[in-house]
Amino acid sequence: MVWGSMIAWYLFLAGASAGAFLTSAFVEAKYPDSTVMRIAGRLIAPVFLGIGLLMLMLDAEAGLHNPLRFFYLIMNPGSVMTLGVYCICVFFPVALAAAVLEVLKRPVPKWLTWTGIVSAFCVAAYTGFLLGVVKACPLWNNAILPILFVVSALSAGLAVTSLVGLILDRKRFEQMWLVKKGHVILSAVEMVVLFTMLVIVSSGSIEGAASVQSLLTGEYAPMFWGGLVLLGLVAPFAIEGYPVFITRKVETSTTSMVVSVIGESGVLVGGFLLRLLVIMAALPVMYL
Amino acid sequence: MARYGMLINTKKCVGCFACRVACQMANGLQSDESFIHFKEEETGVYPNVHAEVVPVQCMHCENAPCQQVCPTHATYTTDSGVVLVDENKCIGCKYCMAACPYGVRIAIKETGVIEKCRFCWDGSEVGNPPRCVNTCISGARVFGDLDDPNSDISQEIAATNARPLASHLTDAKIYYVR
Amino acid sequence: MSSNTTRRGFLKGAAATAAVATAGICALAPWRHSEAEAAGNVVQTPSLCNGCSSKCGLVATTVDGKLKTVEGMGDHPYSKGTLCGRGHGTAQWAYSDGRLTQPMKRTADGGFEPISWDAAFEEIGQTVKGILAESGPEALAIIQDPRPSGKYYSKRFINALGSANIYTHAAACNLSKESGIQQATGAQNFSVDFGNTKMVVFIGRSYGDGIRPSSVKSLAQAADNGARIVLVDPRLNNTNVMATDWVPIKPGFDIALLLAIANVLVTEDLYDHDFVEESCVGFPEFAQQVAQYTPEWAEKLCDVPADRITELAHALAEAAPACAIESSWRAAFGCAYQNSFETARVVCAVNALLGSWGQKGGALITSSPKTGEVDEVKFPKLPKVQAKRLGDTEYPLALSGTGTNLAVLNGCNDGTVQGVFFYNSNAVQGYAQPAKWREALAKAKLVVTIDVQMSETALASHYVLPECTVLERMELPEFIGGKKHYVAMRFPAIERIYPDTKSCDEIFAGLAQACGVGQYFDFTVEELADAQLATVGTSVAELREKGIVELPTAKFEYGTPAFKTPTEKFQFTSQAVADAGLNPVIGYVPRLVEPAEGEFYLVGGKQSIHSHTMTLNLEALNAISREHDMQRLWMAASDAAALGVADGDTVEVSSSEHAGQVSVKVTERVKPGVLFLPTHYGGSSQYQSRANGYGLNMMDFIPLHLEPGVGSTMSQEVAVKVRKVEA
Repeated sequence: MVWGSMIAWYLFLAGASAGAFLTSAFVEAKYPDSTVMRIAGRLIAPVFLGIGLLMLMLDAEAGLHNPLRFFYLIMNPGSVMTLGVYCICVFFPVALAAAVLEVLKRPVPKWLTWTGIVSAFCVAAYTGFLLGVVKACPLWNNAILPILFVVSALSAGLAVTSLVGLILDRKRFEQMWLVKKGHVILSAVEMVVLFTMLVIVSSGSIEGAASVQSLLTGEYAPMFWGGLVLLGLVAPFAIEGYPVFITRKVETSTTSMVVSVIGESGVLVGGFLLRLLVIMAALPVMYL
Repeated sequence: MARYGMLINTKKCVGCFACRVACQMANGLQSDESFIHFKEEETGVYPNVHAEVVPVQCMHCENAPCQQVCPTHATYTTDSGVVLVDENKCIGCKYCMAACPYGVRIAIKETGVIEKCRFCWDGSEVGNPPRCVNTCISGARVFGDLDDPNSDISQEIAATNARPLASHLTDAKIYYVR
Repeated sequence: MSSNTTRRGFLKGAAATAAVATAGICALAPWRHSEAEAAGNVVQTPSLCNGCSSKCGLVATTVDGKLKTVEGMGDHPYSKGTLCGRGHGTAQWAYSDGRLTQPMKRTADGGFEPISWDAAFEEIGQTVKGILAESGPEALAIIQDPRPSGKYYSKRFINALGSANIYTHAAACNLSKESGIQQATGAQNFSVDFGNTKMVVFIGRSYGDGIRPSSVKSLAQAADNGARIVLVDPRLNNTNVMATDWVPIKPGFDIALLLAIANVLVTEDLYDHDFVEESCVGFPEFAQQVAQYTPEWAEKLCDVPADRITELAHALAEAAPACAIESSWRAAFGCAYQNSFETARVVCAVNALLGSWGQKGGALITSSPKTGEVDEVKFPKLPKVQAKRLGDTEYPLALSGTGTNLAVLNGCNDGTVQGVFFYNSNAVQGYAQPAKWREALAKAKLVVTIDVQMSETALASHYVLPECTVLERMELPEFIGGKKHYVAMRFPAIERIYPDTKSCDEIFAGLAQACGVGQYFDFTVEELADAQLATVGTSVAELREKGIVELPTAKFEYGTPAFKTPTEKFQFTSQAVADAGLNPVIGYVPRLVEPAEGEFYLVGGKQSIHSHTMTLNLEALNAISREHDMQRLWMAASDAAALGVADGDTVEVSSSEHAGQVSVKVTERVKPGVLFLPTHYGGSSQYQSRANGYGLNMMDFIPLHLEPGVGSTMSQEVAVKVRKVEA
């Protein structure tokens, strides 16, 4: 394929960055006491995006040799990549500013948070549209992919922020039912969206069917089933869903913590694998 | 203004790779970098078999998908319809490679720039004819102005009923006889 | 930027001048601004391609002394303004990292170490003198793959030493075919008048795989004109795009198909009575013999349905005389089988029955020009060599111009040959089984190879002398025959990149000097070229200016040609063939090796981008092979299914001689029961990193055996087993 793991990392980190910012905004609004999660989200957002952009630049070799060329990135508003750059141009400074204010223990103004919320959604969605507009690849060129990427981005952002909360501020974290519920629901939604996308892509064209087949039964099947579906979706859904919807009790045991860490990490692994698999398994439309 | 295009007659192409190597030399490409790709097609069952070699290169599409997605405007189209890459603007993001339905854009190892056939553009004009046409041993390639009804290529397209490979994908300016 | 306008004589004419002027700029990849600005002096030089033996005219464009592009010379009858892929690829040879850069000498442990030219010449000279003193000049031999300078200098060198033992690669190329045609027609080759032909039948040969641009153009034109183009080949080759019919045939049985066609033409009285009665000898004997070769008889042998054979015969008779069986080259009867020589004769016989010799649209015999006598003071004549060439007694039908190089292999084994020179020849890898060659050469006292790269033959030598590459050297004029006559020559387009390489003429002059016959080489290649050219009314200066010069010649006219046979007629019977102990009447000879149950026929063949084994290591061409996995063994889909082999799987191929592994191309394009292996692969020289160990060398599988009469290598007389190698 054209792109490899570098771009998968970029797409994942950009999405997770947006998700982390949104999580922090949510936590700030709903759980004002939970400063650890809020701070974590605000710090993770610019750091992840920064690393992601670095990956992007490392992959863009011609630009790497001539960094000034990256300024040309704003030239073509007709390109989703340029639109993404606009979004990042808003989101990155906002996320950075919020992080700096947080470090300086200064309040983050409402307008800044709202700007961040809007631009974060845009960044998360853009990573999906980036691939979605490529007509040559049926696996990408469908309306579901951007939704899938947004859901996955929220899930990943939530997971990485939760991971920090779980480890540094477990007592409060275990009380944040909305966060935990949201997380379970996101996993469920992602499963449904992924399933829907594969069905639609598979039925749309031979190349799409071949792409889906390579995921389900072909060369990517182990990564798809083991990494994305089991570790990234089913396990977190079960691990978080069991205490939240079945036992409805606050867990305190070390075992439960380890299991939760596995669940949250699984989401992150799954989030990365989703992008990697979508990139790798895409087959172009046959023209002969 | 001319609108340049090419015709490739696969009924005359024996797959000698002259176009590829001539193009590599003229365009300073490495041995494993090529603007021209070759698809081998085999149809039928023994003994009723047909085999053909289909040389594929940048189709110089109208509203080229690679140009649409190029974030830096490095990919652009001249007034004469030739799709070009300004190597001083290309960052090598490969979005064009992903968007090209024909898979004919390649990364130049030395610079990281994503290049492709440019009809041997010399800075102000197309090659006359491009190197691949110039060296084609069987006359399988014809180059010229698609807008001029009297040009060799227009005549040949009319005579052979040549068509682009995949009109459902893009509006290409390379016509094929198959 | 300056373009040398005085050197535009070799361009395509007015329109092309503009084209090349543009191309000159284009060649600079001008969008790379830095490069364009740095670009200085653009020079164009005429030369001849070295990609194959066609030696097409080319124009090399250099920028500040570095090769930028090559293109076909417009007026050259073979290139007609274009070059094929290997033409462009081999033009880059000068810059290849696989070149020999200095003379090498084999060490005691089998490795190689550099040696100076002086020392190499001195040591070789001493050894040659020793062999001469001990065993006489007959113990020396030279084998060369003809190139303009090579064929002159190598012959002059070995003759100067008193030996008649000069050979070409022909025994592993087109010897059987040329000798067969010669016995029938007196000429060694003929061409088809494609511009006017109505039907042409190719026996194994593929213009689309063994390429000469003009041949491909001619065929494309014939196809455009609606000619029926029939490919008789176990494999659907790359010419198929222009063909109307594919006749898959059992390898080695083309002769049966052709005899059955002859049978139909004779028994149904469809042959050209005028031609047969006026211009042929031996027809009654032939007619009597051919009566048994019915289409039904042929079907059992060649596996082409009798109906189809009859239909082909009828169609040919209908098209006659504007039709022909094509002459072929190496392909199916150049050196492949026990019956190759005879197959060539049958091809000629069918064309005779069709009355197509010399006719519009038929089989044409044309003439070739040659140099006249040059000044005997400056270029002294050699004393006549008394000895007979080794091998000529056993193989009397081997051509005088080629001999059978396998006589050298046999001579090394029995001790009659002690010193062997190879020029531009990778005999070890391509002329017979490599193991047998190595074994034989190991017995010689002296083996010297002159090449541009460390070939497998070089590895089997005591001394390896590096020649500069084709665009770095001037060579003697090349005379080109056909309907029109021309002369062209190679000029150096670039400076020598490695100062320790020498051109053919310099190397042979040095060798001659060291061997004590330097007096015959006291002139430069340019002096001799000028003297030769003067005899045909032109000069080095004119060729440098124009690239190619057309020579005055009698206008070609259609009509029955003058057959230069001993009988001055077309020969259905030949005394020379009878003298060689073979059936004088053109008839049937079976192939030698038949696969047993479960075994396969193995056929080889060219790919358009490679020439023998010499181009495999070149960067640009090797990259194409690897991108397309062109080293693969072709196997019929039905055979693959039976063996459980999928496309890309690895199989082990084994014959009585050798076993080796290679990946498979599963295809519908080959006759079931037949395997096709391209004949360029399986390099074994560690000095050629890209060729070494890549694919299989077909000759490894072939038993050492010589075709009766001509001494060809019988390159496809083999049966092989195949088994899937589990991953």
